[in-house]
Amino acid sequence: MYLGYVVDPELLKKDPHFRMGCVFCHKGNAKVMNREEAHKGLVERPSDNLRSCMACHKQITDNYAKSLHYTTAGLRTGVMPRFSKEELATFDEKVFQKSCRSCHAACGDCHVKGAPVGGISIGLIDKHKFVRKDEGKTCKFCHGGRVYPEYTGEYGGAPDVHYQKGMLCMDCHKKAEFHGDGNAYLTKGEVKQRPACKNCHKPGDEAKLTAQIAHREHEGKVSCYGCHSGAAYRNCYNCHGGHAEAKPGMILGRSPRDKKLLTTLRLIPTVRDTFAPAGIKMENYDALPNYWDTPAHNIRKRTDRTRNCDVCHVDRKNFLTREMLIKEGSKANEELLYVPKPINR
Amino acid sequence: MQVLKRWKAMFVLLFLLLPATVMAQGLAPILSTDDLAKSLKDSGLVIVDIRKVEEYRAGHIPGAVGIFYNNWAPGRGGLMNEMPADEELLDLLSDNGIQSDSKVVVYGTTGTGADRVNVTRVAWALKYSGVQNVSVLSGGFEKWAVREKRDVSTEMARPKSRGYKGKFNKGLLAKKDYVIGQIGKAMIVDVREPAFFSGEQKLPFVAKAGRIKGAVNLPTGQVFEKYPPGDHLEACCWTYKDAASLKNMASGVVGSDLDKEIIVYCDSGRVASAWWFILSDVLGYKDVKIYDGSMEDWAKDDKAPMEP
Repeated sequence: MYLGYVVDPELLKKDPHFRMGCVFCHKGNAKVMNREEAHKGLVERPSDNLRSCMACHKQITDNYAKSLHYTTAGLRTGVMPRFSKEELATFDEKVFQKSCRSCHAACGDCHVKGAPVGGISIGLIDKHKFVRKDEGKTCKFCHGGRVYPEYTGEYGGAPDVHYQKGMLCMDCHKKAEFHGDGNAYLTKGEVKQRPACKNCHKPGDEAKLTAQIAHREHEGKVSCYGCHSGAAYRNCYNCHGGHAEAKPGMILGRSPRDKKLLTTLRLIPTVRDTFAPAGIKMENYDALPNYWDTPAHNIRKRTDRTRNCDVCHVDRKNFLTREMLIKEGSKANEELLYVPKPINR
Repeated sequence: MQVLKRWKAMFVLLFLLLPATVMAQGLAPILSTDDLAKSLKDSGLVIVDIRKVEEYRAGHIPGAVGIFYNNWAPGRGGLMNEMPADEELLDLLSDNGIQSDSKVVVYGTTGTGADRVNVTRVAWALKYSGVQNVSVLSGGFEKWAVREKRDVSTEMARPKSRGYKGKFNKGLLAKKDYVIGQIGKAMIVDVREPAFFSGEQKLPFVAKAGRIKGAVNLPTGQVFEKYPPGDHLEACCWTYKDAASLKNMASGVVGSDLDKEIIVYCDSGRVASAWWFILSDVLGYKDVKIYDGSMEDWAKDDKAPMEP
């Protein structure tokens, strides 16, 4: 049994995961002293095969096998309307299985060792301890480009007010969201257990009359993020061969999923030739816009828009305009433009 | 008999006023872990942990509230590490029950150069907000928990919200136009390392290498020493050098006139806070300001005079 620097020997005594020895999960041969022999057939990431965990955690692994963190189906669903039937088949074979699916999270990626992202691994989360959660390492490592640094304020602007108050990812996002509920959803929009601002912040409970009026007036017209996103967030431009350029920005416009709703939009990096290396032209490229509604994780109680109606209604600050649209973008982008009207006082 | 009664009354009055006198004195600006341990039960004490929420929740000094650094110095107007808007500071202070007469002790970690100056940057924001008694913990959480193995708690503090009533002290912050006007009048102190002061090096977010015209150099790297000193293999953290060493360094550059106006700056306004705190709160210089925008703001303005 390996008792080296990586695994804390004290853990081996305490945690039931180690009762069967390393070989139970990692295979290899614990009976020999020769390094080469001992490592023969070694499985580096045992939980890539969910059966490794299934023996003891059947219900969770059954659910997890269908969850979006494991299937990564959301990535496919998000782009497939751009493809013809033939292109989708090519995408599934050459891109989805080889690239998108490699991003799936196995049990161990959240509970033992951070997932390798772009070939870089953070190593063990806590000396091979099976941790219940450690958002600052596990969530951050995969969602560290956009969500996490926006949430903590490290991308610029103040931290999200929920982080300011000491809240972490799993204070809003519950376990069922990660492990799944046994249904194989195609997109996160279908997941019922997702958090919503109104779960905690009931309309009408506001302390100030001005806030009550503002919320009532914008109900169903503007998303919470539309007013309460506090700073510029990361937008990715021009994904060619896996290389995109990121720039900070706040973009307001109609939600592609609900054109009656104004919200924060985030530029996604897919451009017309993103999948050209796989021989996919994207025949229906214009079926989807380049800007998607985004739940920006940089919520503040006060923003320039909550302080002053004129910021939107007169200055139209941050609203997507025709001039701002990316060059050679989707024709569907036009449908997201909105010009706020002055208020009749 | 009458005299004896009067003495007795005076003695009782003195006894009653004693706690108020002690409170008014506050704690030492640079606080040792021993002194903090002795003061944990002091009334009016608010310990502020400025590490990330994850670290705070994993274990903190008992009773400490967690208010991450970025809350005190967010990016604003295209610049990093800026003073938050007044109403944001009011929210932070009120939500955490901090009053202008609270005894606030700020701590974080000391592993990196940025970590070491974050506490004084937060102390500056507190003083700017009008909090009078602000201390920073020398050696930070590592000295408290790792080296000295003192008690830590995983229980999140739930401070009672109280509307903050303190008066802001805006004279602690200098803006670019003000600094331009004070060239040749105030002592302008560049706290970056000599290679940056001389213009040999610059950080990527600073438009041009060089310094503010007329500035003198008082590098921040000289402020700290490894702890325990002399045994680097066992060093857990960084502490502040003793006041006499700090005084020698400072007076050699800025002189001994405690009334002279001093404006400190660095690249983004974060590092400058270490010498600001030492000059104003440890050494008693009465008029010390931070140029918050620092070289990030200055060097992109062609009208702002630079040298060499």
